[in-house]
Amino acid sequence: MAIDTVPPLIAAQLNYLLSHSPLPIKVEQMWSGSKNHGLLDRFTLVIPFCLDYIRWDVIYNALYPLAAPDIIFGPEDESFRPYYAAGEEGDLKSPKNSMSDWNCKDPTRLLSLILELRELYMTYQRKRVGEVEDERLKFELSTIVSREGIEMYMSSGIEKTEEVKFALPLLGVDINKMVTGCPWRQKQKIFLQVIFPVGRKYMSTPSAPRLKLVASPELKALFSIEDFRLPSWLDGMCMAEYLPILEGLLQSQIVDAVSSIDVRRKFIVALAPLFGRPVEADPVFCRKAAFLTSSGVFTFLVHFSLPLQFPKQQPGLMLQSSQHFNPSGAPVKSPVITEFPWSPRWESSEMAERFFDYLVEECLNFKKYCNESLLQQR
Amino acid sequence: MDDLPLQKIQISGPTLASLLQRFSSSPGDVDGLLFGRVTHIAATTFADDDPTTTVAASSSFDSPTLIATITSFICSNSNSTFYDSAGRLNLLSLRRICSDNQTLSLLGWFSGRRKTPLRPSMRESAVTSSLSSKIQFAFQVENSPKSYTLSPCVFLLLTTPFHDQLIHTHEYRAYQFRLSTEFFEPKTLDVVNIGPAFRGHYGAFCPNSQFPMLPCELRVSSSMAEDGNCESESLKSMKRVSEDQRVLDMYAEDFDVGRLNRLIGSDAANYTGELEDMYKKMLAKLEGLARLVEKSSARVLEQENHNMKLRCRVAGLE
Repeated sequence: MAIDTVPPLIAAQLNYLLSHSPLPIKVEQMWSGSKNHGLLDRFTLVIPFCLDYIRWDVIYNALYPLAAPDIIFGPEDESFRPYYAAGEEGDLKSPKNSMSDWNCKDPTRLLSLILELRELYMTYQRKRVGEVEDERLKFELSTIVSREGIEMYMSSGIEKTEEVKFALPLLGVDINKMVTGCPWRQKQKIFLQVIFPVGRKYMSTPSAPRLKLVASPELKALFSIEDFRLPSWLDGMCMAEYLPILEGLLQSQIVDAVSSIDVRRKFIVALAPLFGRPVEADPVFCRKAAFLTSSGVFTFLVHFSLPLQFPKQQPGLMLQSSQHFNPSGAPVKSPVITEFPWSPRWESSEMAERFFDYLVEECLNFKKYCNESLLQQR
Repeated sequence: MDDLPLQKIQISGPTLASLLQRFSSSPGDVDGLLFGRVTHIAATTFADDDPTTTVAASSSFDSPTLIATITSFICSNSNSTFYDSAGRLNLLSLRRICSDNQTLSLLGWFSGRRKTPLRPSMRESAVTSSLSSKIQFAFQVENSPKSYTLSPCVFLLLTTPFHDQLIHTHEYRAYQFRLSTEFFEPKTLDVVNIGPAFRGHYGAFCPNSQFPMLPCELRVSSSMAEDGNCESESLKSMKRVSEDQRVLDMYAEDFDVGRLNRLIGSDAANYTGELEDMYKKMLAKLEGLARLVEKSSARVLEQENHNMKLRCRVAGLE
C-alpha cells in the first residue's frame, strides 16, 4: 500500500513558504503527478490578492528533483506572461529572475518565486485596469494612483459582467500602538473594497460602486467591522471624496473602541473587592474575567464576558460548578444568564455590588440545578 | 515569416496513439517535438455572378486555407529537453534533434503532464512564444500558389483527468500560437485513420522512407574480363554494383541487385513473382530491424532505471 509522501526537497520548500510568508498563503490540495501515485508533487496555492484569493497550481516533478517547478495560472489569466521577455540561453539581455538559476536544495526559493510572481501579477492587473475604456474608471484611477499599497483586479468572464475591484488600505495610523500591551504579532489592517462595474455606455448618473470593509481577523477583539456602518455614497461622488469621510469616521470609532477598554477594565477591577482576585482575566482587551467564589461549602466559578458595546450592552454571565461533573467528566455549567438587574448608568462599583447581591441568591438556584443534574445521571 | 491562421491540425491515428502511449507509460511528465507539413488547400468558390465580383475570391486568397499535418514526433522521456527552467530555448540541442529529420519541418512541440488543468502553463507559454519567433526554424507551406513561411507555432497539450476515471484516460488540446496576438488559439485536432472514408486525407501524406533510385540494367562483369583496357572500368562498375547492393540491403534482406533487371523490360515476364519475393525480403529486413530495436530498448530501459535510482537518491526519496 503506497503511503502518500511529499518528496523531501519539495516539502522543505513548501514548509518554508507556509511558515515564512508575509501573506497568509494556504495549500488547498496536494496530489501526485507520477505514474505510481505515492509521491505528492503537485499542489494548489491559494494566494490572497485584492481581498480575494487567486489559485495557482504549482507543478513539480518528483522524479526530476533538480528541475524548477512550473506554474499554471487561473483560467482567466491566459495573457499573464511573467517571464515573456526571455531571450536565448546565454543572451545577456534576458533579465535574471527566480527561474533562471534554480537551486532545488534552497528552501527559500519557492517563496521568493511566488512573491515575485505575485508582484508581476499585480502589475499585470494594473495594466489591464488601465486599459479599460470607461471614462469614469479612468478618472477614479487617476485620483487614487498615488496611494500606497493599492491592489486592483479586473474580473471578466463569459457569465460575469466586467468589474474592476480595488482594495484600498485605510488609516495610516498604527492600531497596534494604540493598545497598551498589544499581543498582535502583525500589523492590523483595514481595507475598503470597492467594486465598479465597467460601463461602456455613457450614463448620466453613474451608479454607486459596491463597498465593503475588510479587516484582519484579530482586530475583532477590539473593534467589530461588521457593526460599522459605512457612510452612504452620494450621487456623483468619487473615491477621492469618499475616502476622507470614511477614514475620519473610522478613526473616531477606533479611538472610542480603545477608550472602551478602560471602561471594561474599571469594571473588572471593581469586582475584585467583592469576589476576590480573578482567576483568569484578559488584561489587554478586558473582554472576560473569571472568579472563584463560594457560598457555604458550594464552590463555583463566575464567568463574565464583556461585549465591545459594554456598558451599553450588558455583560454575559455564566456559572460553573467545581464540584459537580457530567458523565463525560466536564464540570456542570449554567446556561448564559441574561436576566439580572442591570443599568448602564450605574457606576462600576454599584454594578459590582448589584452582581454580588444577585449572585448570593442565584447561586442557590444553581446549586439545586447541579444536584438535579447529578441525580439524573444516576 | 507570415502569421497566418491554420484552419485545422491533422494527425495520423498511429502517431497520436503512439504519442499517448509514450505519455501514459512514462513515469513522469514528457515533452517533445512535432514534425510534419503545412499544406495549402485551394478553396473552391464557384460563383454564378459575373467575373467582376471576384472580390470574394481574392479575399480568400489573402487568408489561405492552411492545414497542418503532424506525421511524426520525437519524445524524450523527461521534460525540459530543449529548454531551461525559465523557458529559454537551448538552440544547440534543438538543432541536433531536428537534424535527423531533414525531410520534415518542425511544426511545434507537445507537452504531457498528468492531472493538471488543460491550459498552457507559464513555462509552456514562454517556450512556445520563443519557438514561434525563431526564424531559423521557419518552413515553407506546401502546395501554395504564393510563397508563405510559417514558424513552428503548434502546441499540443496532453493531460489526464484529475480524478481517476474509467471513462476516459487522457485529454488533449491542440493550439496554434499566433505571434500577432500572442494568444493560444485552440484548433480542432482531426485524427486521420486508415480506411475508405479517409482515403482523401492521405493526399497530404507522403512516404518518409522512399525506395532508393537504383539502376535496373546491369552488365555482368565477367564479359569485361577479356578487354584489358576495361579493367579499370570493370573495377569501377564492380564498386558501383557493391555500392548499390549495400543500398538495397538497407531495404531488403538478401536480395541480389542483379535481380532488379527482371522487374522491367524484356525479362519482366515473371515480374510479379520477383516483386513478391523482394517484398518478402523487405519484410524480413523489417523484422530484423524490429529485433534490433527491441534489444536496444532493453538496454535503454536498464539505463533509465539506473538513472531513476540516482535521481531518487538526489531527491532524498530513498
